[in-house]
Amino acid sequence: MRRALLLLALVGTAASAQLPGLRKRDPVPPPPLVLGIDALRGEFVAQSGSAMVYFGGDSAVLTPQAKATLAAQAQWLRRHPELVVRIEGHADPSDTRDHALAVGARRAEEVRDYLVLLGVPAAQLSTVSWGKEHVAVMGTAPEALALNRRAVTILVR
Amino acid sequence: MIARPASLLLGLAFLSAPVAAQDQAAVIAIPPLTTPDEKDTGAGSPGAIAWQASQLIASDLRTTAELVPVGPDQKDYYSYPEVTAPTFSRWRAKGAKFVLTGFVRSRPDGRLTVGCYVYDTVKGTELGRTGFVVAPDEWRRAAHKCSGIAYTAATGAPGGFDTRIAYVAESGPVSNHVKRVAIMDSDGNNQSFVTAGDTIVLTPRLSPKAEMLAFVSYVGGQAQVRIANLGSGEQRPLVQTGAMSFAPRFSPDGKRIAFSMQAGANTDVYVADSNGGAPQRLTAAPGIDTDPSFSPDGSKIAFESDRSGTQQLYVMNADGSGQRRISFGGGWYAAPVWSPDGEWIAFARRIPGAGSRIGIVKPDGSGEKLLTDAAFDEGPSWAASSHELLFQRTGPDGRPALYKITLAGGDARRVATPQDASDPDWSGALD
Repeated sequence: MRRALLLLALVGTAASAQLPGLRKRDPVPPPPLVLGIDALRGEFVAQSGSAMVYFGGDSAVLTPQAKATLAAQAQWLRRHPELVVRIEGHADPSDTRDHALAVGARRAEEVRDYLVLLGVPAAQLSTVSWGKEHVAVMGTAPEALALNRRAVTILVR
Repeated sequence: MIARPASLLLGLAFLSAPVAAQDQAAVIAIPPLTTPDEKDTGAGSPGAIAWQASQLIASDLRTTAELVPVGPDQKDYYSYPEVTAPTFSRWRAKGAKFVLTGFVRSRPDGRLTVGCYVYDTVKGTELGRTGFVVAPDEWRRAAHKCSGIAYTAATGAPGGFDTRIAYVAESGPVSNHVKRVAIMDSDGNNQSFVTAGDTIVLTPRLSPKAEMLAFVSYVGGQAQVRIANLGSGEQRPLVQTGAMSFAPRFSPDGKRIAFSMQAGANTDVYVADSNGGAPQRLTAAPGIDTDPSFSPDGSKIAFESDRSGTQQLYVMNADGSGQRRISFGGGWYAAPVWSPDGEWIAFARRIPGAGSRIGIVKPDGSGEKLLTDAAFDEGPSWAASSHELLFQRTGPDGRPALYKITLAGGDARRVATPQDASDPDWSGALD
């Protein structure tokens, strides 16, 4: 519904440019038939609740909350088989360098497997682990560490 | 003239604490290296280089736990013939158990000969000597070799002064680092970069003679082990696969590389020829098996596994057989690294959610000892002597730096680097 409204709005903009008396020097580009990747990303996050799920310490087990988020992500992704999607796994900075890489990979794989279980085509999904190389929240407080133990579903294109 | 007040101060320090000095470290006298000529070499006169080399030797030995250098002092100059006939009684009277003498001499071909001798002042015997022919601007390496024979004479262990350190130089905001593989001499000189900083790089590991470098790069979109030839600058992936590979480490002969590779949620230890070829899988347990490190004879590999539920240290034969756990102290253990003398395995002991500390344990699991007490220490790497460890310490602001600590204990000492630094690796003694 939201997408349809956005399309209508775009068509409306294009139509208003055709009003008599407004001479154009350049041809008007045709209105896009699908939303750009940025708009799709916005819609994905809005409808899934979050692009991110969080994990316990040294764990790749999906919490009930993570499963609910992934179910909503899967529902949206199933309607967009044309999109290339990458799952990025992260560890918190209190982990050691190499173990963090392996834990990040485990988290990304867990999310990918769950999305496939919920009907998202496996060919659409790739994974990468960033270990502890991209810290989302600075600091060593338990809350800050918890916010770094995450997997992010990224719409690539 | 400037050296005199400093040496007076040193003298007073020894008088005030002679017992402690004798218990913990032996005094070695470093009279200035001498020279028979004064021809200019382009990098300075032999006399000027001899004076700088003497200072560098004293500075090298001052970083050790076993030796306390005294000198160099301008008033202690020997004549060239006296280099091989020092007056032992004079040094004994000053409390020095050892004395190091030497010379720098220019050659007709424009290079320099640097010679050093180490004597026991009590027995009046020579303990070691070394000689080098070097280009004038390479006198530092010769001086480091002189420090090395002094250290070996006093301790019986290899000296690690003519060694190199590879590490990751970090710049930019902590949340979005620029990371570059950097290499420097172990005294901080000759800094150079191996990678350009356009992609994240991790865990550089030098081959035993520092000719090759294995490291992890995200250049292909995910973490993969790459091999760099430090002479030619050429780089290539270790294995031709799309899987994530990481945690590389050379075998003691430099011919093989042990590393980790991920398949699904499982990560195992593999070994591959460092020149390429198909990797051989060594572990198969479900879970994360990583951070392999060869024993100095190449027959065994220490590694980290969470197959028991938490990260622990394991040892196996180099063909993957005989895997057994060696850490039982409670808590989590990571990043085992075998000492060059084979006696110890260094590790980072994790305190989940609160960082980690550096410790050592015997390969059979006995004698565990924690060496550091800061919250975020990791990545231990051994000195060639096996008496000291280099590691990464992350400050409360999230910025990493390199530190050294001796097995004897005491405070960790910061190793100066031009930028923030992580993932250190210390080479063996160079040829």
